[in-house]
Amino acid sequence: MATATTAPTRAGADQAPARGTDPMRRQQARAAWILAAPFLVLFLVFTAGPVLASLGMSFTDIKRTDIRTPFAVGFIGIDNYTQLLGDPLFRKVMVNTGLYVVLGVPLTMGLALGAAVLLNRIERLKGLFRVGYYLPVVTSIVAVSVVWKFLYRPDGGLINEVLGLVGLPQPEWLDNPSLALPALVVMAAWRNLGTLMIIFLAGLQTIPDEVKEAAQVDGASGWGVFRRITLPMLKPTLLFGAVITSIGYLQFFEEAFVMTKGGPLDATRSVTFFTYDQFGFGNYGLAASASYLLFIAVVVLTFVQFKIFGEKD
Amino acid sequence: MSRKRRPVQVAGRTLALLAVASLALTGCGRDSASEDGGPGQTEAISEGEATGDIEVWAMGTEGEMLGDFVKDFEEANPEATVKVTAVPWEAAHDKLSNAIAAGETPDVSLIGTTWMGEFAEAGGLEPTPEGLVDEADFFEGPWGSTVVGDTSYGVPWYVETRVLYYRTDLADKAGWDEAPQNWDELKQFATDLEDKAGVEYGMHLQPGQTGSWQTVLPFAWSNGAEVTNAEGTEYTIDSPQMQEALEYYKSYFDEGLANDGTLDPGELESGFADGTYGAFISGPWHTGLVEEQGVKTDEYAVAPLPGKDSAPGTSFVGGGDLAVFSDSDNKESAWKLVQWLSEPETQSAWYETIGDLPAVKSAWETGELASDEQLQVFGEQLDSTLAPPAVPSWEQVAAVIDADVEKAVKGAMPVDEAVADMQSQADSIGTGL
Repeated sequence: MATATTAPTRAGADQAPARGTDPMRRQQARAAWILAAPFLVLFLVFTAGPVLASLGMSFTDIKRTDIRTPFAVGFIGIDNYTQLLGDPLFRKVMVNTGLYVVLGVPLTMGLALGAAVLLNRIERLKGLFRVGYYLPVVTSIVAVSVVWKFLYRPDGGLINEVLGLVGLPQPEWLDNPSLALPALVVMAAWRNLGTLMIIFLAGLQTIPDEVKEAAQVDGASGWGVFRRITLPMLKPTLLFGAVITSIGYLQFFEEAFVMTKGGPLDATRSVTFFTYDQFGFGNYGLAASASYLLFIAVVVLTFVQFKIFGEKD
Repeated sequence: MSRKRRPVQVAGRTLALLAVASLALTGCGRDSASEDGGPGQTEAISEGEATGDIEVWAMGTEGEMLGDFVKDFEEANPEATVKVTAVPWEAAHDKLSNAIAAGETPDVSLIGTTWMGEFAEAGGLEPTPEGLVDEADFFEGPWGSTVVGDTSYGVPWYVETRVLYYRTDLADKAGWDEAPQNWDELKQFATDLEDKAGVEYGMHLQPGQTGSWQTVLPFAWSNGAEVTNAEGTEYTIDSPQMQEALEYYKSYFDEGLANDGTLDPGELESGFADGTYGAFISGPWHTGLVEEQGVKTDEYAVAPLPGKDSAPGTSFVGGGDLAVFSDSDNKESAWKLVQWLSEPETQSAWYETIGDLPAVKSAWETGELASDEQLQVFGEQLDSTLAPPAVPSWEQVAAVIDADVEKAVKGAMPVDEAVADMQSQADSIGTGL
């Protein structure tokens, strides 16, 4: 009961009676701790524990062959991090990941916003289109990738057949180092736009019609209403969309894993893919460092987005 | 002391905790004494019957069939009970490595040949007892896959090796009534298949990417290259022989004799059936696959890999080894089971049960293995094979080789630079022994 005796000294500054001595409050606090305990224990053991362990691992040279003696490994400070930043392959995968974000986020958001605005206007077959655009999100990536591989086939693929009909060149989409990454981005945008579309649609429906009508009465064009009324009022929703989409593209993995295995010439290998490989090779320390570098990138990018889009409201 | 902690304090505590943890880690440090030399073989096991429970893990079809197969062993050793657990191949590596980490291993397991270095170095495997089997009874290549450093950690169980597959009907048309024997002939063979028999690509070779080292290294080995030194402590990839082999490999792509696009599963087999590809290099499973695609048995043949000057060249050998774990509490009996599985009669019977090619040479002298012409080609090839080095970091270095082969083949890097890059990356990775 040490707290009960020390509490009054602290309570002296407060006007209210000492908190620690109120038996009711103490009981409530105890009940709260008991109720929260199952979650807390699970959180500490299965979330906080592994996170801290992996952070610790990232400063050691732990490898798969150390599994029987995980504490008998060398502490090497930030060597893993410097090694990664000096590794040409890691630099390449960082650039690739950057490209996924830079190409993928605007494309996905633009398509989703377009779909949302159109769906917000039509009255008939609304449900059908919503389901249609959302369907790719819930479809297995393996099934999707098989279909898209057929679409992208150099000979006989739907895309190249169409290009051939209008006399355009027919590239080897997934075997060409400069086309493979954009090709995957297009597929990922198609696959992910459903979620964002639903979110944007919800955001659009919160914009009162009166505001738009008032603007139209004042002589604003359709585009003007969209630019000056809809977009600003949608800003919080757009920010949320940008943040979750960026995090998604920073962790780009499945599409490249199934479609191209990171090739051709590592052109579609992402940071997550690199990390996955390193874990596979048993370089646990190095892999942990790579994931923390990605984590830092996520934090920084999210922070920047909040700064740019989140401020003025 | 206040009850409510302020955020600054919490952050301070977390930092302190981390600092303590780091200090603790610094204090431990790596024990490097164990890294030189192997522990040597363990003492011979005693005579007599096996006893007690023997727990065995096996993957794939082996796991499904082994349970019934070991009935004969149990009859001969009435005191012993063999419990077989089937483990899927995809999960096997993680399951084994977790079991070793936890010290909760089975007594015996089937182990993929490329995992031996890692598990042995982690301290999970027991060195093979002196005199358990005679090394000379086994094909040399597969035996090599059990040797980590200077110590053998198990016994080869079954093997697979790569040979040349080609369309005999198209070869006839191109004027070849037998398989090419050396590099020059192979090149001519592929060219003739294109020019005279009208195939689109004379050969299929993998243009880099996962697993292409299994096709590239046989060319290098046939040319006398070695990937590590004898002790397995250093990579020796960069050599004139390796460069020459990769140059030769690349020439197939430069001259349009091989396709540098990536194939989807099944494309090679259907392409072989419809005459897109005239020949390719692969393992025994492909006989079934190409026949499924409608290639008749008299339309194709297998032949030993062409060597630099004469056949057979040195091919890749894979398969599975049997190893006993250092945490097993029934090692004697476990080794007796391994010994029984490596007897020539057991190996022949196992081939008849499941179709795995025996690792023991004398098992090839009887039954179907001795009479079937196609199988004999694999048997002949097995005499000149090499296994990839049994070192813990091999899979990572193999991925480096795959990536650099792709760069060389697609012209993104000259061959000599690609080989030098393999060497420098492999050097910085280290063999892990």
